[in-house]
Amino acid sequence: MERHVIHINVADFAVAVERAMDRRLRERPVVIAPDGVSRAVVYDMSEEAYQAGVRKGMALRRAVRLCPDVRILPPHPSRYEQVMQALVRQALPYSPLIEPGEADGHLFVDVTGTSRLFGPPVDVAWRLRRQAWTELSLAPGWAVAPNKLVAKVATRLVKPDGDAIVRAGDEARFLVPVPLHLVPGIEHRDLVRLGGFNLRRAGQVASLSRDALQAPFGRRAFHLFDVVRGIDRSPVRPVGHQPPRVVTAHTFEEDAHAVPVVEGALYGLVEKAGQVLRRQSLAAGRVMVTVDFSDGLRGARQRSLRPATANDMALFETARSVLHMAWRRRVRIRHLRLMCDRLTFPPAQRELFPSAADADRRQTCLVSALDRIRQRFGTDAIKVGRTLAA
Amino acid sequence: MPLTVVERWGVMMGMDVMPPLEPAGISRVRVGTSGYSYPEWVNAGFYPAGTRSGRMLPLYAQQFSAAELNYTWYQMPKAVAIDRMRRQVPPHFRFAVKLTRTMTHEVDRDQWRGQVARYRDGVAPLALAGQLAAVLLQLPASFERTRPRRHYLAALLEELAGLPLAVEFRHVSWATDRVFAELENRRVALVAVDAPALPYLFPPLEVVTSPDLFYVRFHGRNLAGWRSGNMQQQFDYAYGAAELQEWAETRIAAMAGRSRRGLVFFNNHVRAQAPANARQLMAMLAHQGLPEDASWSDTSSTST
Repeated sequence: MERHVIHINVADFAVAVERAMDRRLRERPVVIAPDGVSRAVVYDMSEEAYQAGVRKGMALRRAVRLCPDVRILPPHPSRYEQVMQALVRQALPYSPLIEPGEADGHLFVDVTGTSRLFGPPVDVAWRLRRQAWTELSLAPGWAVAPNKLVAKVATRLVKPDGDAIVRAGDEARFLVPVPLHLVPGIEHRDLVRLGGFNLRRAGQVASLSRDALQAPFGRRAFHLFDVVRGIDRSPVRPVGHQPPRVVTAHTFEEDAHAVPVVEGALYGLVEKAGQVLRRQSLAAGRVMVTVDFSDGLRGARQRSLRPATANDMALFETARSVLHMAWRRRVRIRHLRLMCDRLTFPPAQRELFPSAADADRRQTCLVSALDRIRQRFGTDAIKVGRTLAA
Repeated sequence: MPLTVVERWGVMMGMDVMPPLEPAGISRVRVGTSGYSYPEWVNAGFYPAGTRSGRMLPLYAQQFSAAELNYTWYQMPKAVAIDRMRRQVPPHFRFAVKLTRTMTHEVDRDQWRGQVARYRDGVAPLALAGQLAAVLLQLPASFERTRPRRHYLAALLEELAGLPLAVEFRHVSWATDRVFAELENRRVALVAVDAPALPYLFPPLEVVTSPDLFYVRFHGRNLAGWRSGNMQQQFDYAYGAAELQEWAETRIAAMAGRSRRGLVFFNNHVRAQAPANARQLMAMLAHQGLPEDASWSDTSSTST
């Protein structure tokens, strides 16, 4: 069956929400940046500020120099969350398959097979857009396409408030002239690599065979081959159904910059996540670390775990390397978040070599012993030295 | 001899465009549906099982000689896509293309002229090929006849001049002789509508304001559905034979006598009622000497 996926995209979401609440902010440059921080950076900005040269992540002082009449507002994450929920509520009558972004003004609605009830998908998209305007004073861009990937590219192309319809069968043709950086699923390192071959547009990559792509990209070639043709089989998840994952977070009482302190806090998060995983007899296939710096900027990196594990020490080893990938700036950290996903049942395959197998067994025994002690005497009954620094 | 619509368009564009001659025996009234790409028409049996949306237009063109493009109301037509559609149908097939909402329902005072220019570019492949039968300006029910709106409509018609235009009013306030006279003056077709009998809706009149074109739209007479705000209920209606007969024998016959070409579209698309009613009407028109050619591959057999 042909799929019809609507993507609603509110450009500069944080600014759009603030403007919906305060009409005086319209048609003047607005920047969202943390209040009272000496080296704050721009979290989001309006189109006017963007035209003046302001960019996300730019030092606020520089932004003010570029755009002197800019109005600076502190971020209000709860407001964005609330408006996001309102957007989801508006879409609920049309489909149970609604996948919102994380308070970023993005929303996928799968309306496949609903036309007998609600009319053509394009009409539903237009209604959602109209409702967003009349009820929330937001003017989102929208697109209707056969899958999430193409729908997302389409709204990026018609930013800030345009519309696009891509019909089934037109996906590859639609993507031909699209710059690669606008195609979701093509990561920074892919872009650098493709740029090295002077490949800048999706159509140029689509003209290459799978074999040709495989030489420089290895297994990733299969992914790239599909993405540049607009092939995306990922489902729009039902409302409230996030992919299974374990998330733990820590906010430092005082913004931290000492490596042992931050690593100690990370170990604490790993222990919590590990316990949750082990209780469910699951193992994580990937860890992601997000660091929020005191100036408002955010760093996030992730890495696969092979094999999948729920062992604190193995998890920490990878999480620590991911932390240092995300923490490349000499700026204090305010908030640390660890996410474990790609959850599977622990691999049954044992280590082949006796020394590795022995280390593996000892680690498992140690973690099990810690779990037993904590179950009996409480979480704080026994601690790893590393966490005392945090 | 006065120029035809396509000739005038060609002259205006500074091109030597001659309208393609229609094969002998092809009638002047074309009947079709408002939109053709409805997945539910596969379930309803109009399209064969498993038909993908990309294959619908050629199949539709095997049964009807004209289609009204509705998606252009949502999205500005793009020349590349329109040309691709044109190449999917026989050369005798005609399109009526709805004007985009940014010029009828969501008008920006500073932008609409630019939108007209974009629209002209979008439909240019059809106009050049002589397959643009009409540009449909469907105005909303909220578009009441007021001084600023009259001025806007005049400016819009001016900006679109040269294209074969048809105006559909939804608000009853436009049903006056002065409006009809002005449309006649501009050779713009007034769309005759069949819709539920609601006091604020434009009444079903068979007024012909252009010698080049008359245009009829059947929206269905689902009174409760019309007020529901749900398109599937609004256009859920099956015309009975008597209702169609009345249109065929009196109104359409009268309009056909006053205009050289006619377009009739059914908008009651729910459960493929539109193509069923369109076929019924075609048979009725053929019976009374206004045949509609369904199969262009065999035009001789349909001339009566």
